[in-house]
Amino acid sequence: MMTRKTHRRGLSRRDVIKTAAAAGAAASVGPFFHVTPARAAKTLRILQWSHFVPGYDRWFNNVYTKEWGKKNDTEVIVDNINLALIESRAAAEASAQKGHDLIMFLSPPAVFEDQLIDMKDVYAECEKRHGKPIDLAIKSTYNPKTKKYFAFSDSFVPDPINYRADLWGDVGMTPDTWDDVRVGGKKIKDKHRVPVGIGLSAELDTAMAMRAIMYSFGAHEQDAEGNLAINSKNTLEALRFVKALFEEAMTPEVLAWDASSNNRQMLAGRSSLVLNAISVTRTAENEKMAIHEKIALAKAAKGPVRRIGLEHVMDCYAIWKFAENKEGAQKFLIDYIDNFKQAFLASEFYNFPCFANTVPDLKQIIAKDEKAVPPTKYAVLDDVLEWATNVGYPGYATAAIADTFNTWVINTMFARVATGAETPEVALSQAEAAMKSIWAKWKERGML
Amino acid sequence: MMLQPATHAAAAGPARAHTGLLARIADNERLLWRLMLAPAILYIVLLVGFPFFLSLYFSVSDVTVGSREMSFVGLENFRRVIESRTFWTALKNTLIFTVVSQLFVIVFANILATALSVEFRGKWFIRLLILLPWVAPISLGAIGWLWIYDSIYSIINWTGQALGILGPDRWPIWLGEPTLAMISVIVVQIWRIVPLATVIILAGLTSIPQDIRDAAAVDGAGFWRRLLQIEFPLVMPIMLVAVLFGVIFTFTDMIVVFVLTRGGPYDQTQVLASWAFFTGIQGGDLAGGAAVSLFLFPVLVAVAILFLRLARRAEVT
Repeated sequence: MMTRKTHRRGLSRRDVIKTAAAAGAAASVGPFFHVTPARAAKTLRILQWSHFVPGYDRWFNNVYTKEWGKKNDTEVIVDNINLALIESRAAAEASAQKGHDLIMFLSPPAVFEDQLIDMKDVYAECEKRHGKPIDLAIKSTYNPKTKKYFAFSDSFVPDPINYRADLWGDVGMTPDTWDDVRVGGKKIKDKHRVPVGIGLSAELDTAMAMRAIMYSFGAHEQDAEGNLAINSKNTLEALRFVKALFEEAMTPEVLAWDASSNNRQMLAGRSSLVLNAISVTRTAENEKMAIHEKIALAKAAKGPVRRIGLEHVMDCYAIWKFAENKEGAQKFLIDYIDNFKQAFLASEFYNFPCFANTVPDLKQIIAKDEKAVPPTKYAVLDDVLEWATNVGYPGYATAAIADTFNTWVINTMFARVATGAETPEVALSQAEAAMKSIWAKWKERGML
Repeated sequence: MMLQPATHAAAAGPARAHTGLLARIADNERLLWRLMLAPAILYIVLLVGFPFFLSLYFSVSDVTVGSREMSFVGLENFRRVIESRTFWTALKNTLIFTVVSQLFVIVFANILATALSVEFRGKWFIRLLILLPWVAPISLGAIGWLWIYDSIYSIINWTGQALGILGPDRWPIWLGEPTLAMISVIVVQIWRIVPLATVIILAGLTSIPQDIRDAAAVDGAGFWRRLLQIEFPLVMPIMLVAVLFGVIFTFTDMIVVFVLTRGGPYDQTQVLASWAFFTGIQGGDLAGGAAVSLFLFPVLVAVAILFLRLARRAEVT
């Protein structure tokens, strides 16, 4: 009778505490009881972005790293994340002093320098095997103040003009100079209601495009020695040009863009010209979108001072001082450069080599592409090193340059002027004040 | 025969002792409340207190994302922050973002809570729908809104044109024009906070004793009189708690702005939380980011004290 009575009553406070204690113990101890599969002798953890060309990730994650892992008795774990999350993930790893062995940044990670190992040995070994790296790689990964290679650049991504050949042909022009872009863009917008699509937002592609315009107008964030040089008549000219371009040939939608908005606008047939990597045309070709036949590529536009463009993405591999497998990460990079031609082909010409000799027949390969219409579409990239430069040109990509880049100071300055929110003079003085503060900060920290 | 109970007793010894200890803890109220409170205190100390004091320490140092060593720089970071134009823009935007969104939240939450306090068929389903924005991860919801506002594929514009509300040449750029961008982020914040405020106010409404309502009905009070003179005064303390939560969540939120506009166009939707992130994490200046984020603290403390005092005064005894 007593037993039945006990069963019938509700849960007592004792029961609740016992159950909670049991559940807590199970939750705490449970994770330690999983079965561990047989492992290789070492592990190499790599963090990098989800590539814009999905075929590259398939090759890198499922083929190359697997083969390299077998040869080196190493389990290679690749984590792909959205490009916008790399900096914050890296900051978290640096703070926790734990994370991946190899991390790939898409712009020079100069602000992390103290936490990264010197890559001079990796550069030296690769130089011994494949000749000198391109200047763009060194300018993006070397700090002349501390004499340290804080990262290693295997490749860069060209940033050509992507334009609608049909629309530009219809107005009898090609976008060869920045003035052509403004005049031709206006004609097309007036006639076809299709605007130019160059971002004026807080994102990567805008940061590259605005610097391309600045540099071609002879304006720079810094001089070759790294001194702040934003305040110049050339910067004012570049600002006035962007204002005219925005008012005559663009629409306010560029003020709200993210890094893939220009791809979407071009592929939707709603842009006459964008500055982007070849991800636009490759996406159209791979998805069999008819518009790919109408999109042509051109070199960076010529400004009043020079023809110059940015790298669209600068692959910068870095190794934490606290990485568990530093030797493995360095060897991986050296071996990766030995096999870089595979990477170049897997990326469908997206990643260009920083060690040019690793793809000696690059010009012949891109001269004729079976997917492209016309097949010679990508041949325009064969002299890319003559018109592509690094963020921070003519100096190095320092911590101050990286800070300015990642807090969108230049993007905001151009957007304020383009929309008429500020005059070029006021916007420039505001940007200069912000940059002075940034320069002072990093100088005090011994990074400049 | 004699052995069996002895063996049983020996085996049951440790188990009984264990049960005895649990029983003693369960029956000891002085120990029990301390034990039950301990996880919450531990949680607050580790996940709120420690980061807070760490950011205080960071804000007077020169720490960066890449440095392990730091030196004391006094109030230098605060001086830099105050001199920055973006900071003042962000502060103004944060206040607009918070005040406007919370005004709408409290209106909508009251309407919804009043509607949900009466019985009707399918009420559980409507409650579920209303709660969804709160229970779903905000980053997912914000990405959904990003597509709703997209400059090329905006469903609002498409619907507006299909219904003839927008002319063929009208295509608002929701996230590209400063005023529209601010309205857009405020709308998403309202959408996000309304469910929480609704649930809190609904709890307040259901706690009003039925005999008070019955007495009012007997005295001939109509809907508005009952609402304004009986229910509102009784619910006011709990409503102020809902506003306090809403203000704190909105003031410290960066996800909506980060996903939708990243502070653009040209910093016109930049808020303190997003600017702290851009400065501290993206820009690598942890000390500067900590200094920006600490400007939130005194404001929030003042708001919390004010609302809790108001709530206490509004209590009907």
